[in-house]
Amino acid sequence: MMLLTCPFCGKRNESEFIYGGPVGADRPDPNAVSDAEWVEYLTVTPNPLGPVREKWWHARGCGGWFAIWRDTRTHDIVEVPDGTK
Amino acid sequence: MAQSNRRASGGRIDRNQPLQFTFNGKSYEGFKGDTLASALLANGVRVTARSFKYHRPRGIMGHGPEEPATLVELDGEDASGNRPATTVPLRDGLSARSVNCWPSPEFDLGGINQLFERFLPAGFYYKTFKWPNWHLFEPSIRKAAGLAAAPAKPPARGHFEARNAHADVLIAGAGPAGLQAALEAARAGMRVFLADEGAEAGGSLLHRNLTIGGRPAMDWVADAVAELRGMENVIHLQNATVWAYREHNLLIVNQRDPEQDSILERSWRVRAGEVVIATGATERALVFGGNDRPGVMLASSVQAYVNRWGVTPGQRVVLFTNNNSAYAVAADLAVAGVTVEAILDSRNTVPKAALDLVSGITVRSGTVVSDVRGHKRVRAVKAVPANGGAGTWITCDLLACSGGWNPTVHLWSQSRSTLRFDEELAAFCPDQAVQSCRAVGAAAGVLTLDRIVDGGEDLTYRIEPLWRVDVPGQRGKAFLDVQNDVAVSDVHLALREGYDNAEHVKRYTTGGMGIDQGKTGNINIIGTVALQKGVPLQEVGTTTFRSPYTPVSFGAIGGLREETVLFPYRHTPVTQWNKDNGAVMYEAGARWRRPGYFPKPGEDLQEAVNRECRAVREGVGVYDGSPLGTFELKGRDVPQFLDFIYSNIMSSLKPGDGRYGLMLSEDGLILDDGVAFRLDEHRWMISTSTGHADAVNQQMEKLLQTEFPNWQVMITTVTSQWNNATICGPMAREVMHALGTDIDLSPEAFPFMSFRDGTVAGFPARVVRVSFTGELSYEVNVAPRHMAELWGKVMEAGAPFGILPVGSESSHVLRVEKGFLSLGHEVDGTVDAYDLGMGWAMSKKKPDYLGKRSVALRRSGGGTRRELVGILPEDPNRPIPEGAPLTPGGRKEATDGLVTACVWSVVNNRWVGLALLQNGHARQGETAHVRVKDDVIPVTVTKPVFHDPEGKLLRS
Amino acid sequence: MSYKVNIARQSLNALFDLKGSPAAILTWVEGALPALPERPNSRTRRDALDLYHIGRDHWIVRAPLGLEGRLETQLRPTDCPADISIVRVSDTLTFFRVTGLQAADVMAIACPLDLHDTAFDADAVTYSELFGLKALVMRCEGGFEFAVEQSFGDMITDYLTRATA
Repeated sequence: MMLLTCPFCGKRNESEFIYGGPVGADRPDPNAVSDAEWVEYLTVTPNPLGPVREKWWHARGCGGWFAIWRDTRTHDIVEVPDGTK
Repeated sequence: MAQSNRRASGGRIDRNQPLQFTFNGKSYEGFKGDTLASALLANGVRVTARSFKYHRPRGIMGHGPEEPATLVELDGEDASGNRPATTVPLRDGLSARSVNCWPSPEFDLGGINQLFERFLPAGFYYKTFKWPNWHLFEPSIRKAAGLAAAPAKPPARGHFEARNAHADVLIAGAGPAGLQAALEAARAGMRVFLADEGAEAGGSLLHRNLTIGGRPAMDWVADAVAELRGMENVIHLQNATVWAYREHNLLIVNQRDPEQDSILERSWRVRAGEVVIATGATERALVFGGNDRPGVMLASSVQAYVNRWGVTPGQRVVLFTNNNSAYAVAADLAVAGVTVEAILDSRNTVPKAALDLVSGITVRSGTVVSDVRGHKRVRAVKAVPANGGAGTWITCDLLACSGGWNPTVHLWSQSRSTLRFDEELAAFCPDQAVQSCRAVGAAAGVLTLDRIVDGGEDLTYRIEPLWRVDVPGQRGKAFLDVQNDVAVSDVHLALREGYDNAEHVKRYTTGGMGIDQGKTGNINIIGTVALQKGVPLQEVGTTTFRSPYTPVSFGAIGGLREETVLFPYRHTPVTQWNKDNGAVMYEAGARWRRPGYFPKPGEDLQEAVNRECRAVREGVGVYDGSPLGTFELKGRDVPQFLDFIYSNIMSSLKPGDGRYGLMLSEDGLILDDGVAFRLDEHRWMISTSTGHADAVNQQMEKLLQTEFPNWQVMITTVTSQWNNATICGPMAREVMHALGTDIDLSPEAFPFMSFRDGTVAGFPARVVRVSFTGELSYEVNVAPRHMAELWGKVMEAGAPFGILPVGSESSHVLRVEKGFLSLGHEVDGTVDAYDLGMGWAMSKKKPDYLGKRSVALRRSGGGTRRELVGILPEDPNRPIPEGAPLTPGGRKEATDGLVTACVWSVVNNRWVGLALLQNGHARQGETAHVRVKDDVIPVTVTKPVFHDPEGKLLRS
Repeated sequence: MSYKVNIARQSLNALFDLKGSPAAILTWVEGALPALPERPNSRTRRDALDLYHIGRDHWIVRAPLGLEGRLETQLRPTDCPADISIVRVSDTLTFFRVTGLQAADVMAIACPLDLHDTAFDADAVTYSELFGLKALVMRCEGGFEFAVEQSFGDMITDYLTRATA
């Protein structure tokens, strides 16, 4: 049970949040990309061994969406992707 | 003789409070303050268990959670399995049985396995029972080698509880180091959570005769406990084991015997700023032939029984040690009047400080025990020079062993903090902390009191490791893991067969698994591997320490979540009316409880459903549509937002009008279907299916907050601000008139797919003309505070028209007759709008909306798809199970599709169904075949609508 | 009852959901409401009106049910400009009060939030989790008050009964 920091509410139990997946590429103009590029956008998401930027929804809280860096090896929430706490 | 081994005085028991208990059916007496183990020893019960695999007789070896040998099953009120007897507090009327033996540990038929010991090595089951398949043999092996059964009945009284707590500092362990840490933190004003697994605070001081500042150490403990009790910022729990250390300093504590009678156990989930691990140290066993015989015990446990419980587990004791701590035990035994035959020390030189404690007792340095004589109790031990040579038998009835001490690093290690092997202590000790935690006292490798508490006096700790006795001529089986019957020979076998990693050795031999998780023996397994491979012990490393540290009841983890509150549930204001009127209640989507159908006495499901459906088709029915998800949207950008999330165009709607639409996800699958209404220029209301309200809300908020933060759209969930009674059927308008309303109900003034605000039956209402049944329908939305009353008035006003309440079974029939889709039936994660015959919902005008590109991409490959069709079984009375496959000709071939729904149609007087069929749209009029067990059902493929195909009725 | 608490399910309150920038809200409501709370998850009070700041650009106005009509007239939810949203939500929440000597113990069973007075002061109000559900939590005279989505009210009653059995 992680402790996540919501920008509005501060530190809260993970159970208040819903995971929104890793932050992937920005949505391209679907009429301006090839099939392959569209499939890449839809299906290829970051999955590193280490810090990953991901979205969380404070569903049982203020309702805000926000992004954090979480180290997939340790659950450490880091401020910047090089692993600094 | 009752309590023949009980000392006349001394110990932390109350001799004025005798307690009666039974063990394997025999009655015994103990005292308040006893554990089951201390009471059994007091009564001279030597054989208390049979071993896991070989059914060897075993006795009590330890005095706490490290106990490897004696597991018991408790009956009656305490019903639970696999409890180490050393951790079961004695109470009056306690009834316990040994696990894994029949009929009793003294005379156990399974003991015949001992004769076949050499045929049951590590990996035996894997190798032997692999053909034809392990599952054939598993049940009988589990029975023979298993532990206790789960209690057949729930506990007779009370319930489990789980609760949350927060602390600046959590301290695990209330021994001297833990108490010291608690005092310091509490005096500094911190919120302190102190939890200790024992019945009393004090840790090792409870059974060691030590002094602090010239007074008995337990006086210092009493003072500390009293001071902590007086502080509001301290929670101090005994009988409370910190069993898990999770991420972000969340710890889980299992508290037994909470103060409330009604609570069996309490699970605390504690989020701590800092964690102090003061879990002490665990004594290690020594490994030699017959080291599992009843009467071979840990030295500190013998000390504990003598000092703390006033029990002498033997009269003639031999001590076997590789370190100093056993000398204090010998001294205490001498004081208690127990004969110490000899101290056998594997070290060639014994420090003087140790010798000074035991003047008058024979000490044989450089000596080990190689074998034990005696089957159900120790009768003699063989003392042999450590470097080999002739041995001598020493007659005794108890062998107390000390293999040295392991800091109890379970929690430390669970936190992912690292360990290092300390050469001086010959033990793994805490190294680098990874979370905010620190280890103190013995858990940190500080093994003497004087270095923990000022003024304490203690013998200096010195050790020379001895991982196993290895002298020529050794005969008996030498156990590394007593609980799992893992002997030195098993580890050697594992190494020979290539399992040379510590984790592999553990899994192949099962050494270190089970209830005790190898607390006394793991280090010896690691040492044995190191010796055999000829590498330093730290190179072998430890296996991973995982939670739980000691066994925990499932009930405590679950807490209150059982029976009616196992899953959340939601009611509407009509729920009570439904129950009062005989509804069979169903679990519906999004945790709502809804009426399934309303049977009259003597009616079965089908008869009740037919009656309800006929009411809607021929007269009038009403259902409670409150669970539908409802959202109010506000802002300038709502039109473009709705155009983006729905596949059809919503922005062109005029105030007062609504439109049915599909919501897709970005991958082109159908997320939901629903209706959007424009309330005025900038205010909109959308409704979603019941089960997908949360998913739609999540999708909308995610898009607005993460993709389009500049769009001005504000969403408010109003599902529970609007409840509705949906009146449907040809007589719906008459019922509305009878209710009384100021809304013009004529089809011209109030057409299908629009809404009007006004009053109905005197209540402020928003009436919506949508239809999920295919009939003329008025969805009368009111505030929930008025819903129950409105419902009553609808039933009253509708009575002359024969109105009936309609349950979800009938709703299903009515929508299938109309071919209206249902998510989870026709929409299954493969189909798109075109497959459903709803290509009209996929806007051609809009350049972009969610899912558009993906649908186009998926269809661009060509080929046939499964498409929604109606099916009519050729035998009109033949129902088809929902989900049944369609196959070519009904043959055993790859499926052609599946039946998504099949209902008895009251308008057609026959079974009708819907199906997703390969290339279905082009196959209308053909015969298809449903393949079910032992039968093939021919069906005619039709359009997916069986009632009012033009939709005249719903627009009427 | 194993805990020394009183548990009471409350009758309806007047509730309005407010969204928009503080400036836009202030312009529209003028003096009808208490001052906007400055800190996240805190409340202000004037007379019988409570104003909860429970999300970014998000407030809830709470008043006795008798004031619902008057508030509706003052806040004019259907007329407010496009950049703010005002929705009457009185029926959406069911309030419970847990008061008495052991109120904090019962709350600790239900809620993972730190409700100690050093962490959750008298003015605190926030959405959190209660028995796994989203819930609005705050203090009240002698204990705590919380609200869950109305349809879960019976389940919460069930849960509290079990917790204190």
